[in-house]
This record gives sequence, structure tokens and C-alpha cells, in this order.
Amino acid sequence: MRIIIIGGGIAAVYLANNLKKQNAHLEIILISEEKYHPYDRIHLCRLVDASSTTDGLSLHLDPTVKLELNQKIDKIDKKNRRIFSNTRMFSYDKLIIATGSLPVPLFNIEGISNATVFRSADDSRQIKEGIRNRNIVIVGSGPIGLELLETLNGMRDVSNITLLLRGNHLYTKELSIDSIRTIEECYKKEGKLTISYEDEIIDKIVKNSEIISLKTKKLQIEKPFLIFATGIKPNIESFRDTLACKKGILTNLYMQTEDENIYAVGECAEVEEFRFVAGHVKECTAQADAAISHILQTNIKKFELAISIDMLKVGEFDLVEVSSAFFTDSYEKVLISSKKESRIDEYFLNDNRLTRFIGVNSNVDIGYIETLIQSENEVDINYLYQNRLIGERGRLICSCEHVYHQDLVDIVTSSGISSFLELADFSEAGRVCGRCKLMVEDVIKKSQELIDKNIPRKSTEDIKRDKEIAKVQKRIDKFNTLNPRNKLTTDNLDSAMKSLDIAKHEINSWISMVTADMKLHPNFEQLVEDAVYNLNKVPIIWLELSDCSGNSEAFIKSTNPAIEELIFDYISLDYHELLMSASGDQSESILENIIKNEKGMYILIVEGAIPLAMDGKYLRIGPKGETGIELLQKCAKDAALVLAVGSCALDGGIVAAAPNPTGAVGVSQALNRDDIINLPGCPTNPTNIVGTLLSYLMFEELPALDKLNRPLWAYEGRVHDNCERRGHYELGEFVHEWGDSGAKKGYCLFEMGCKGPYANVNCSTIKFNSGTSWPVQAGHGCMGCTEVGFVDKFANERKYEEEKK
Amino acid sequence: MSTQKIVIDPITRIEGHLRAEVEVDADGVVQEAYVSGQLFRGIEIILKNRDPRDAGLLAGRICGVCTNSHFRAAVTSVEDAYSLELPNSAQIIRDLMAMALFIQDHVVHFYHLHSLDFVDITSALNADPKSTSKEAHKYHKKPFRNSHSHYESVLEKLSNFVKAGKLGPFSNGYWGHSEYKLTPEQNLVIISHYLEALKFQTTISKAVAIFGGKTPHPQSIVVGGVTSVADMLNPQRLNDYLFIIKNAKEFIDRAYLPDAKLLSIAYRDDIKSGVGRANGNFLSVGGYAFDDKELFCNGVVYNHDFENIADFEEYKITEEIDRAWYKGDSLDNEIEYTDFNEDGSLKTAKNDDKYSWIKAPRYAGKVMETGPLARVIISYKKENILIKSFVDEFLKDTDLELMDLSTTVGRDAARAIETGYICEYIFKLVSRLIQNIKYYDTETWAKYDFDSLKKRAKGRAFLEVPRGTLSHFIKIQDAKIENFSVIAPTTWNATPRNFDGVRGAYEEALLGLKIEDTSKPLEVLRVLHSFDPCLACAVHIIDAKGKNLGKYKI
Repeated sequence: MRIIIIGGGIAAVYLANNLKKQNAHLEIILISEEKYHPYDRIHLCRLVDASSTTDGLSLHLDPTVKLELNQKIDKIDKKNRRIFSNTRMFSYDKLIIATGSLPVPLFNIEGISNATVFRSADDSRQIKEGIRNRNIVIVGSGPIGLELLETLNGMRDVSNITLLLRGNHLYTKELSIDSIRTIEECYKKEGKLTISYEDEIIDKIVKNSEIISLKTKKLQIEKPFLIFATGIKPNIESFRDTLACKKGILTNLYMQTEDENIYAVGECAEVEEFRFVAGHVKECTAQADAAISHILQTNIKKFELAISIDMLKVGEFDLVEVSSAFFTDSYEKVLISSKKESRIDEYFLNDNRLTRFIGVNSNVDIGYIETLIQSENEVDINYLYQNRLIGERGRLICSCEHVYHQDLVDIVTSSGISSFLELADFSEAGRVCGRCKLMVEDVIKKSQELIDKNIPRKSTEDIKRDKEIAKVQKRIDKFNTLNPRNKLTTDNLDSAMKSLDIAKHEINSWISMVTADMKLHPNFEQLVEDAVYNLNKVPIIWLELSDCSGNSEAFIKSTNPAIEELIFDYISLDYHELLMSASGDQSESILENIIKNEKGMYILIVEGAIPLAMDGKYLRIGPKGETGIELLQKCAKDAALVLAVGSCALDGGIVAAAPNPTGAVGVSQALNRDDIINLPGCPTNPTNIVGTLLSYLMFEELPALDKLNRPLWAYEGRVHDNCERRGHYELGEFVHEWGDSGAKKGYCLFEMGCKGPYANVNCSTIKFNSGTSWPVQAGHGCMGCTEVGFVDKFANERKYEEEKK
Repeated sequence: MSTQKIVIDPITRIEGHLRAEVEVDADGVVQEAYVSGQLFRGIEIILKNRDPRDAGLLAGRICGVCTNSHFRAAVTSVEDAYSLELPNSAQIIRDLMAMALFIQDHVVHFYHLHSLDFVDITSALNADPKSTSKEAHKYHKKPFRNSHSHYESVLEKLSNFVKAGKLGPFSNGYWGHSEYKLTPEQNLVIISHYLEALKFQTTISKAVAIFGGKTPHPQSIVVGGVTSVADMLNPQRLNDYLFIIKNAKEFIDRAYLPDAKLLSIAYRDDIKSGVGRANGNFLSVGGYAFDDKELFCNGVVYNHDFENIADFEEYKITEEIDRAWYKGDSLDNEIEYTDFNEDGSLKTAKNDDKYSWIKAPRYAGKVMETGPLARVIISYKKENILIKSFVDEFLKDTDLELMDLSTTVGRDAARAIETGYICEYIFKLVSRLIQNIKYYDTETWAKYDFDSLKKRAKGRAFLEVPRGTLSHFIKIQDAKIENFSVIAPTTWNATPRNFDGVRGAYEEALLGLKIEDTSKPLEVLRVLHSFDPCLACAVHIIDAKGKNLGKYKI
């Protein structure tokens, strides 16, 4: 597939790199109208004060992406999927427009040498070369203007700057006067700046393509150098004729335009549903991700409006803005300011809900603000006041990643980081939009002396794990506060364990085993134990449908059955036909009760296939004679999670084997849902059931799943690869007939039709019945019971390859 | 006279989907009973056209509780078809797995699936530990874990559980029902063993897994022998197995058997008035050889006439489907599902209404009861020396006669007696196996070349398994399975009626039962549970109407 991207900025490069990352075989062409290799526009200021070169701002582009420079595309032939510049023609399968935006000067400045906008490398060069001995005039005080102002303010050969503002505010009109004064003071320290509020250019004298003097409402400026930092508009003029546009090129939530083969991403696009045009790097990359997912049709995700975070760092002050997409003009504002510390927190509330925050030298944790906005809960003003000093993490360094000064120092000192490059493994700080990179480098440099050489350094894994553990701890704490569903407290479990003479060390060793089986680091053991004790907080229904009870049987005869059976009781026996003492009406009422009162809370475990032929009447359960499928649908509807346990629940198993007399299917197919977690096996190893329940408790998200929706931690390994007889396979030592000398010596069973090479599950490592044995140890070989259609494919004692013929 | 219909579905603490409908009169006495299997899977249809060597792995999936039984029976039927002679050691390995399964099944059934029908947990809380200890001594010289302090600790935990509302299986039972007849101390004894048995059953399952690879669904039996030869030759494995059985025997002798005696004495009135008695036709096919003897004898008893035991003759087995959901005159195993009544009850009004997925096997045209009770009666009456002393001792200690065992509680007693002598039998088997190995007889597979075996053959296997008589029939054509048929123990016991209207064993046993509280039909559960129903096993289809299965005989 050939994908063409038009654009030369961050969005275009991000698209190209990430498309390549997902599929290296894609042919990608990036077409830019500029003459430079794509560069980072955010740091254009560095070209102005010559602290960097265009090459220095150059963005990393995957070397296999084809780059076409100096090509301004002005025509699209949608029908034939071709685009044209004035000299070339390119054909595409998919086209992505990422042309960004154009600055809007207040009057035509074409051909004028001492007036410019500020948007490109060429603009920067023009400023750099043209400002000497000039009176600089910047029009507009948005973030771009203010940043440029900061740069020019610091340049030695600049002596005089006028900031010309139509209104009477800096940064944004919503900013309070206190904040404006604070910012103003900072800029004025150098003594170069004049700010002229409520002013605009009313006349100019142009001679030889040069503005000789400017007249404003209030000032007369001779020998000016004029910079417009007023506003931008989507750069889409070339596409207006061919694609539906309003402000920008209209797209759906996958950034697809009206033409199915054309996408638009970034500042040039307008997401029709939200009438939204991006203005931040994060929004652009989120749009790019949506577009990529849609083009490649993998893990498709929509673009969603997120909270934007902006930051401005000027000399001694910094300004942070966090804003919701739902911010409107009808706000009320809460202002908390401290003159002494030049600190101002401005909270914007719509309907008592926080929609925007602007902080000048603020101490408030940006992450906290973001959650507050996200939650859309009513805000308690007292709470805001109490939290004004919450940040003990120092100054915010990276707004994209919410990294504060102290966070960085901690990472640097605990992991002994000596450079920005080394930091990459630990934190993305300074790498997302890149605005704060220099500050990050500075912190790393200054923290070097704090590194204690004698303390072992934490690796990325350690830090990641610490974070994960903290997250799990939080989730479990949440369960801790819930009431147990079955009125069993942890004391009961403890005393039950005691009553079965289960010693603490047995529990510990069981926990260790489960932790290891779940492929978690031993540091998680305490959390696993906590999770076990919280299992009584989740109601569980265990349905037996077209089954043989093998999985239920297995559960109560498992690794440490005494413990597991207790836990099984502890968690689940709200409803389980095999073990409950209630029958008929009584057990039915338990079921109805859970379904009604625990909506969205309970876990449904299904054992067995679902016969669908004959209207499902091959299986009927309960006093009303509900069919299996009716009962399943009833129970599954409001379940928080559905686990399909055993091979029959996966795909019908033996019951659906040819010719499938009862039209049996697995749970996923019966419910027509793809979010069922499958734990196949005939029977399923109980440890894998316990582990999946625990992981539901411990991690907010579902465990990582494979193509069959089986948890990777249990079903990732191939039986053959971890087999105790693998060594014999490598040596060519095989059993050739049952009971032969090879069989007596425990040789490889491949020749006897072992399906270990085709089966993915952890049998060989965790075994069955307290680790007593497993089919390969018993000399029979594996029959691939965890795989789809295993009965017809694998359930025999002949080699798979030969059988297929 | 006005009757009331009680529907119980699902019946819990059994394998599978069983429904019971009983009609009681104004006094709560059962006038009519219908028992129905509610799940059809058609494993026999699935087995058709497959390689006969695959029958075991597939048929094993008939049931996850009796898993080893079907696995073995299917393989045995194939071996029978091909006239393969099993090496002795392979036979013993299969028997060791089977016997461990007997023990496991019986213990789990008694304590976890059935005891709560007789034992009231809430009443146990009022027990006095010292008297409890004394009570237990009535049934054994050295009762299992019988110290005062042990009972105190059991009581303490139990009271915690009950106070807390519920603990899993103890929730929402029929506690306090007037039909619970044990004293608090007796309740406590059994509850104490209930808890012990949770541990017991998992250890015992290891014994199956040692030679089976895993359980449920072991995976070590193949046509011609067994695969776990490396385990057999490993002295540690054999030792582990033996050790587990030794421990099991401790529990069986000092807890299970005494508890069965306790129940038999406490529920003596029920026993003497014949509660749960079926029609008195018993069937056992015998089996499990040792020297020139067999652990179980084969035989047939009609109408409780213990003195005239006929030999079992397989040609007398027939199967009927008049009242089951299959088409009567079809040769193609066609289903004829007639659904429920509008109100969700079974269609039973007319003499030819169909109401179950379970077919109706008959022996000499008669409804039969099979299971531990049948085995005990027949083996005892045939003077089986491996068994006789166990039965005598039990009857003496409980002051009962053989006839008394043909009741609800008696079935449990028979099961316990059987478990006792199975342990002894296992020890004999193990020493035989050790002898074999010692003298280099380590063959575990009867060599054959599949391609040169007969292309057409018929075979069958008759096997006594924990719940009773299991038979598999196979017909092989062009080296493929042409037909497969199963009659499981529960098929016999839970059979529906036939055109003649004669009730099945379950239905007959329910008749005349007095139900104290129709909203809590504890008595019904008791009767049904005493048969240890296994519904996944029970539902099987047959070839054609009234087929004489004996024709499979080679």
C-alpha cells in the first residue's frame, strides 16, 4: 500500500514514523512544500537567537520514508487517486493531509523586507537578519508572540521592542489583571519593552519594499521591524475545491475526509462532530493515531477530545494552562493569589465544574487538576484553597508528561542518569512536544552531584514495576473499602484456613506459586495475597451449561485444593450447581438476586457449550425450563466480566465436534461478543482460573490476551517449548510404540502423535493435581485441548502432519 | 383428592442437569414422580465415522466426574472388538486408577454432595465437644481426630461461619428442617469429617493422576494398554500412590465407615420403614479380577429375592425410548422433542408423553437398580470372600439386615462398606504389580498393527464403576466407528418409564415419600442424592426401538 503524507511538520513526521513502526512494508512518501527536511516548529525561537540551526531542529524521520521537498501540492484527483504539484504527479492508495496552519498578517506583507509572520524557518531567518538596529514591533500576545518576545528580550543586539495589542490583556482575554501584571513585570525587567494596550496600526509609510515608519493609535515608530503573531488559519486553500471544508478540512472521528481514501490530521483538519481544530501537539498525535488505526484497520480507535495543557516559561515565571473542551465564556472564576510569592491560581468553573485552570508560578499538581476536570464532579472551593500548596514536587518541567522538578531529580538520582539520552528509558519528559528539553537537560546536569554511587541503581523495569505496584495497591485499596458480598470477612477466611489446618507457610507458598504462574514479579506477592482476601467482594455466578462438570471437578482438586476450595467458596459459591446446598427454587432465587442487585458487578464463569439447534432446547435449566442460551444471555447481560472456562465454552469443544448434533457453540459465539475471556482446557487448570480472577481484581484492565482471547500469562508458552521431554526431541530420541524402551526412559512423544508443538498453554510448567503429573509425563502426549476445534484436529494419537493428509 | 405438584430444577450437588417433578397429596405423601434429564449432547453421534482408537479420548468427555470410567470403557470395547489381550501390568495400572476413583467418588459423594441432606450445620453449633468425642467412640475404637480440643476448634470455626451468614456451600440450605434427626453431637462429628474430607479428596485425586497424568480427564489409556510405563517403573511413584491409599484407608476406617454407621443407626426408623426403596431389581456385571476371584460378583436380583440370584446375561439388555425424546420407529437416532407444557412442566399426562433425554434400558424387560448397593447385595449373597466380612461387620454393628440396605440411607451404607474393601483390594493389586516388575514383566501394551486388524468388528465393555454398571458398545465398519452406544449407571437408575408405565428406580424410590414441608422438599433430594446421580453420563441415544444389545456379542 502506498501512503502519501502532505506536510512537513510534527504531525506529518509522526504519521510517517508510526505507520512504518506498525508495518515496515508500507510505502510512504512525505511531501513538503518547504526546502528543509521536516523540522520542529515549536523551537523556531532558537533560530532567531541562533542557539540552534535548521538542522538542529530537524525531526527524526524513518529513513525508509521517501521524502519529496519543494513540492507544493495544488490539485487532487480523487477519482484516480493522484495528486499534482506544478511539476510532478504522485499516485496514492491513501492520502493524508497534514499541512498544518498558516499565519494571518493584518495586511499584505508580500515583498516587504522588514515585516514578517513567525511560522517557518525562513521567517526566523528573516527576523534574525533583519532586526539589527530596528525598533521591533510585535503584534499580538498569544503564546507564540510571548515566546518570541522572551527570545528577543534576551538578545544583545535588540534594544527596543514594542508589543502592540488591540485589547488590554496578555496571553488570553480571560486572564486576570493580577496575572497580566505579573507577566508584564517579568518581561519589562530587561528595560527594552513597551507594551501598548488598546492600540493598533493605523498607517504606514512604505518605500523600496521597506516600511519606513509605522503610525499606531498611540505611537509613532520609525525604522520598525514588524512581526505579526496575530493568528493562524488552517493551511487548506489548495484543497477547498476538492474536499468539504469549513474552518478546516472536515473529517469524521477517524480523521477520514468525505473521500474514503483521504485523511486530514492536525491543524488543517476540522473534526466535524466537535467542530474542533487542533492546536496542540498532543491533539495532533492523537488524531494521527486514530487515522493510522483506521487506515491499517488494527485496534481501531476514535479521536476523542482530551484536556489540553499549555505552558509558557519566561524567565522567572511560568504559566500553565489546563483546559477542557467544554470551557465556555459563561464561567465563574475563583482566584487564589499570593503577592509575596507572585503566585496566582485561576480556576474557571462552568456549572460548579472545573473547566479550565491557568496558573502563574502555581504550586498545584497539574495531574490533579487534569483529573479534577476529567471527573466533571462539582468542585468544592475550600478544597481548591487547601490544595494551593499541594505540589511538593517543585516547578512543573514537562507539561505533556506532568513531570515536575523533583520527579526528575528522583529519577536521575535513583537510576544514576547522566544524560538526556539515558533518560529516554525512564521518562518521556522533554520528548513529547520538546518545548522543555533544555530545562530537562539542565536538571539532569545539576542533579549529578546528588547521585549516591553506593546505592544500587533502579532499572527501568524496577521503576515501571514500582509504578504498577502502586497502581494495583490503589485498586485493591478500593476493594478494601467495599463490603464483602457474601458476608464473609477476611477473618472468616483466616479462621477457615485455620479450621482446615492450613498453616501460614502453606498459604504463603501457594501465593508465591500463583504469583509466579501469573508471571508477576515476586514483589507482587503481597498484593496477590491482598487480592485473594478481597475476592469475597466480587459476586460470582458459575453456570454449567452443556458440560460434563470436568472444570468444576478440577477446581476442587487442584494445586492446593484445601486452599483453593476455600477460596472458591469464599469468592464464588453464590451460585454453583455442583456444590451449593440449595436446590430448585432456592438456588434460583440466589441467581435472580445477584443479577438484579449486582448489575455490572458480578463475574460470570461459564462452563460448557451452548446448544443452539432446536431453539436451544437440548438444554433446559430451572423451574421455568429456561434454555441454556436464555439463561446465559440473562446472566451475561449485566456481568462485569465473562470467563469461558474449559474447551466447550471456548468453541463448543467435544459437544460441537463433527457433526455437531446439537448445534453447539462457545460462549463468545453464543453471545456474539468479542470481550469474553477464554480459559480453554479439558479441563482448565484451576490455577489459571484463580489467576484470572485475581488479575481482574488487581489490574483495572483485562490481562493481555492472545488472538483467542486467552490471557497471555497462561497461554503464551507453547507446550512443546517448555516440555520436560524436549531434550529428547532435540536428540532425536523418540518413543516409537507404546511401552517400548523409549517409553520406559521417558523419550519424546512426538512420533506418538503428541500435539505439544501445536498447543499453547502452561501445562508443562504448572501440571495438574498439585503438580503430580500431566499428560506428557504420563507418557501419552498432549492433545492440544486448549486450541480451537481440538477434538476434530488433535484428539488422537497420530502425528498431526500425517493425519492432515 | 387434590394433589400438588412440586418441581425441583436444578437439583444441585449432582453432576448435570436433573429435574424432578413430584405430585403430593394433602398429607404431603408422594403419589407420583417423574425424573428427567435436561441436557442432550449426542456424544455417540460425534463418535461415528472416527478412528476406533480415538473412542477413548472422546468418550472420556462424556463425564468429568466419572471421567476415567468412560475413557476406559470405550477403550475396552475397542480392545474387545479386536480381541486384544491386555498385559497384566497394564490391567493393574488401569485398576489402580479406577479404584482410586471409587474411593474419591464415594467420599466426595458422602460428605460433599449428600451429607448436608442429613446433617444440620446449625444444630452442630449446640454440640458439647466432650460428648461429641464420646459419641464418636460409639462407632469406632479410635475415631478420626476425636480430641475435645479438635471439636472445640471445629465448633469455633463453624460458629464463625454461621454467624457471618454463609460460607459458600453452607448457604441457603434447609437448615432447621424437622427432618434433620441427628443430635448436635452427631452433627458435629460428621461436619468435622466434612472439613477433613475436603483435604482428603484432593490427596486421593493425586493417586489417579500419578498413573493418569491428570484428573479429571486422565490421559494414559490407549487401545492395547497404558502409556504411563515410566511412572509404573519409578518406585517413588508407586510408593506415593501406596502412601496416599494408606492415608485414605485411615480416614475411611476411622471416619467414613463410622459415619455411615452413625447415620444408619440415627435414621433407623427411615430404614426400617423402607424410605427410598425402589423395586428391588438389582444388576451387577462384576469384575476386577484377582487370582481366580473377582472383587465384584455378577448377578441379577429380582424383586428383593436375594436367595435366587441369576447370572448376568448380556443378551437380556434392551433399550426402550417410548417416553424419551427420540423417535420410536426411526433407524437414524432421530430426535423427537415434544417440549414442556405451557406452564414449564414436563409433559407426563398421557401414557405416551415423552419427558426425558434419558433412554430406558431394561434387563429381561425389567427396570433395574445398579450401583454399590446392587454390588454389595449380589457379591455378599454370592459369598464373595473379599467382601463378606465387611458387610457382616457393618450389619452387626448397626443391627440391620441385608434388606435394610435397600433404602436411601442403606445406599450410603453400601457405598461406605464398598469403599472399605476396595482399599484392601488395592493393597493386593499393588503387591501383584510389584511382583510383576520384580520379575521383569513390564509390558504395558499389547502390540498390534492397526492396519492389519479386522476392518469390521463389534465389541462391548461391561464395567462396574463407582455409580454402578457401565456398558459401552461399539460397531466398527471399514476401520471406522459405525455405531457407538453407552448405557451408564445413571441411565439405569434415572430411566424414565416405558410404554408399560413401570417407573424407573428414582421414580419408584420417591413414591410414598412423606414430604413435611412442600416448599422445602429435602426428602426428595435425599432420595435422589442417595443414588449419586450423574446426568452427563446418563443421556445417551440408542440405535433403534427396543434393540437387543446382546447382538453385539462376538
